[in-house]
Amino acid sequence: MEPIKAVDIKIFPYRRLKPATTEKILNEIIKLEGILRVLLNGESLPQIVGYGPAKGTRVNHEDRKVIQLKNHDFELSVTVGEIIITILHEKQETFLKKLEDILGNNLSCNFEVSAGIFTKTKITVSDYLKIDRGIEQEIEPTYIGLVDPGSKSKETVRLIGD
Amino acid sequence: MSYKAQYSPGNTKIAENRRNHMDPDYELKKIREIADEDIVKILGHRNPGEGYKTVHPPLEEMDFELDMMKEMVEPLPGAMQGNRTRYIQFADSMYNAPAQPYDRARTYMWRFRGVDTGTLSGRQVIEIRELDLEKISKTLTETELFDPAKCGIRGATVHGHSLRLDENGLMFDALQRYVYNEETKEISYIKDQVGRPLDEPVNMGEALDDEHLSNITTIYRSDNISMRDDPEAREVVETIHSSRTDGGFGLEVFKDDLKRKIGE
Repeated sequence: MEPIKAVDIKIFPYRRLKPATTEKILNEIIKLEGILRVLLNGESLPQIVGYGPAKGTRVNHEDRKVIQLKNHDFELSVTVGEIIITILHEKQETFLKKLEDILGNNLSCNFEVSAGIFTKTKITVSDYLKIDRGIEQEIEPTYIGLVDPGSKSKETVRLIGD
Repeated sequence: MSYKAQYSPGNTKIAENRRNHMDPDYELKKIREIADEDIVKILGHRNPGEGYKTVHPPLEEMDFELDMMKEMVEPLPGAMQGNRTRYIQFADSMYNAPAQPYDRARTYMWRFRGVDTGTLSGRQVIEIRELDLEKISKTLTETELFDPAKCGIRGATVHGHSLRLDENGLMFDALQRYVYNEETKEISYIKDQVGRPLDEPVNMGEALDDEHLSNITTIYRSDNISMRDDPEAREVVETIHSSRTDGGFGLEVFKDDLKRKIGE
């Protein structure tokens, strides 16, 4: 496989985003050129109460909603606090300019945008378990750094490429 | 010896707010009205209208003839009836919540009798007889000690005090015990403090605005009033820190004492 030059762009809003805002900005961002993958980070939202006398009760958190991206349904399992977008390095300048506009128009709070390496770049042993493809098979390079240590990638990673 | 309690050091507004919270003679400003029944619902220890469960017979009926404590300590109304000990727990956002765990601990000890309070980094629990707990909970939620957006009544799964607020200015709650109504701009509890759904939401009113909160908060923050701007408060904290370090390691402090013990 031919190596490519890629860079991570981190969007850090000063407030946790509502699912509606996330959906809106992601749908605009995804139209931009050069995107390889998008990672949504945030505090996880449980489906059932884990502790105390109400253990086992359903939570029904309003932020755990299904959003639509490119006609695909995604269930948010976190309250979005950080968006990391990996893009082709050569597109960085134009991407950042357009991104600032999108965020400025859609976010009601302040935000920071930075470029750098914000995801893991090398494979470790536990990645094989998390990605759940067996240790013999090669790991898809685009998966490196996307996996959530607490869950299997089958549940948290979705491919919607063109 | 008589002395005047100083409550908390410092010359800034933050220190002043802390002193006001702790001073039992200062009357906390009441800013909202919550029905007794609603407090009972949020606490979730008993159903509204249900009697208090007891762990022992009323003190009057118990045989304490030889117990001197009976004469020395006046029992709380809840203890007199033999109520169970129950709790209320608060989590306070570091985004200028009116109170915070250490301030709450000291406030509780100064203002209320017979409380057992526990301080943790992000939450503060208060344990007392159920009858008295309900009265105290009313004071704690109706007065300026409480803001429905930046404080949460959380018995379990308290995480959220150090996280960013959401777009409506609410502190993170994994169990979403309270919701924001975007039309009325009011916040209401839809679950009790441990996350059991309530039959009817309990309205807590509007959130306090950010500027007002920065005036009534007891939290030093570099974007509001920094602790560095309060030399007196800093001096006290530094003195306690160095005394604890010296005392803890026995440096200098116990030297003479030690020498005496080993016979020098």
